[in-house]
Amino acid sequence: MIKIKNIVITALLALSTTTVASASVLDSLRLDARLGYALGGTVPTHMGNEIRGINKFIPGFNFIVAAEGSYPLSDRWAIHSGLRYELGSMDVDSRVKNYDIEVVRGDESLKGIFNGNVRIKTTQRRITLPIQAQFYLDEHWSLRAGIFMGWLASRKFWGWAYDGYLREGTPVGPKIEMGTEPGDRGDFDFDKNMRHMQWGIDVGADWRFSRRWGAFVELTYGLSGLFKSNFHSVQTLRPLYGSLGITYSIHLKKRHHDKKTD
Amino acid sequence: MGLDSMRHITPMALLATLVMTVLNTSCFGDEPDYCEADIETATLHVSNPAEFFFQPTDSLQTVFSTDSVITFAVRSDANVTSLAPMFTLSPGASIEPANGSSHDFSQGAVHYTVTSQDGKWQRHYRVNVVPTMITVADTLRFDFEHYELETATQRYYMWHNVLPDGSLGNDWATANAGYRISMGSAQPMDYPTTPLLNGYDGAGVCLTTCDTGPFGRMANKRLAAGNMFLGTFDIRIAMSDHLHATRFGIPFTSRPETFTGYYTFEPGATVQDFNGNPIAGRTDSASVYAVFYRNHDSRGNEVALYGDNVLSSDLLVAVAKMEYVAPTTQWTPWNVKFEYREEIDEQLLANRGYSLAIVFSSSASGGDFIGAIGSRLCVDKVRLICSHEE
Repeated sequence: MIKIKNIVITALLALSTTTVASASVLDSLRLDARLGYALGGTVPTHMGNEIRGINKFIPGFNFIVAAEGSYPLSDRWAIHSGLRYELGSMDVDSRVKNYDIEVVRGDESLKGIFNGNVRIKTTQRRITLPIQAQFYLDEHWSLRAGIFMGWLASRKFWGWAYDGYLREGTPVGPKIEMGTEPGDRGDFDFDKNMRHMQWGIDVGADWRFSRRWGAFVELTYGLSGLFKSNFHSVQTLRPLYGSLGITYSIHLKKRHHDKKTD
Repeated sequence: MGLDSMRHITPMALLATLVMTVLNTSCFGDEPDYCEADIETATLHVSNPAEFFFQPTDSLQTVFSTDSVITFAVRSDANVTSLAPMFTLSPGASIEPANGSSHDFSQGAVHYTVTSQDGKWQRHYRVNVVPTMITVADTLRFDFEHYELETATQRYYMWHNVLPDGSLGNDWATANAGYRISMGSAQPMDYPTTPLLNGYDGAGVCLTTCDTGPFGRMANKRLAAGNMFLGTFDIRIAMSDHLHATRFGIPFTSRPETFTGYYTFEPGATVQDFNGNPIAGRTDSASVYAVFYRNHDSRGNEVALYGDNVLSSDLLVAVAKMEYVAPTTQWTPWNVKFEYREEIDEQLLANRGYSLAIVFSSSASGGDFIGAIGSRLCVDKVRLICSHEE
């Protein structure tokens, strides 16, 4: 999590240093093709005290491809929407204490309090529809904020509890050690418990550095949770993606401002 | 910085603030208090250990997470009216009465309560220090009449043996607790080790090789042989090191000569290998044996035998093994003599320096997860005939 945080903040600071004040006029629909690298996956709603440290965080090969458009409402305001295809994966290995866990396989489950290490791997292919208000700071810069609806085209969530021990049922239940190797550890697989539909908040910033080309930074945070509401095997996790990428813009109709600067 | 540029930086700062707020909630909180409340070991320090204990190692007891009774067996003439046991507890836990406080153990068990660091969990323990007569039995009888559902979970059966004084002991162990890890939904009579209401004589015990279900397949531990043995089952390592979870043997102070009993054995239809593939032409075999061994190594360390060395250890003194457990649906007697590999040291025998294990299993290779699901070994009226030299 620390890594994500540093990267996103660094990116935002880098982008925010070059703000220039200038008026911009927008009077026509503008379409963007976007390609970006996404960092993220899932985060707990609050990093509970139970998570004592991150041993390893490996962001996967994640990307975003999108076709999005802005429809101007005034000189400074527009409505922004489109379709995005996101591939997100994550591999995180954390150290936990007093961690509520349920290992499920078929009709059988084993639940209790785990102390040790938990490895979680996720892969999600998501199609999202953002609806955002866009505010133009100037001709180069705009900010966006709104909501998104997402649909998971494919989803995987699996991992294992290892090098530790489970207190079966309660903290005073039988103590069962879990080893490192498959068969000795507690494997879990929660694909089927994931929601298909997600929704959440979506904020972003765009920087146009030429007439066609620009860059964007985006952060989407799922409010709907990753799992179905009747699923309690792991604590509530929410999808969080930070992404960074480039945009290529097409104006359906040239703006006055563009004519002047061209 | 001019007002104008301020106006434009502010929204960006707001966005950054929002991002940081979202991410900051993901930072680590304070370490939670421990919630466990276990006695992990119990130690009894006395000024005259050689006169008090049978073996120096008897002063330290390792306490399993499933134990709530701790018993020190001491010499029959030991004075137990003022003893101060010391306990190691799970991290952060506290104990009442105080660790190391003196108590009179001559009136029976002393009760201790352990409370977790977070104050939310408690465990109650009974600690016994029992002056133990060295009995030299002629015949030990195991009739499997005393069984009950395990107290905490009520999910599986456990058995009690009848001690020489007529009270019930806890010397029989099974791996039923381990089966519960993989098959939490199983009913008591679905477990590998179950009571048999109509045995050869009264109740008997039935051992069945069972499928370990989806967890078993995932872990490639696809079957659990029904077993029953004199010793203890350590649930802690049932998953990570199953062969060492079966700790065979209890201290034994007579010289065993003959091992007898009655059995039925019906092998399951198909023997499967480690990966669950059928092995053509093979019939499952059961295990019926008793071993007698030195329970300390040459350096004086306490030793138990486990699933991987119970028939091969250098510490074995005598073995009585049914070489072939012939399939039969009729109650069939067995009578096997102990074959001694070395002479008994009478002094060591009197000091509880030997242990005895009786072992039954419905699939002899069950420890390697090879066997036939459904193999069923029932036993009853087990006798251990002993002798002693004057």
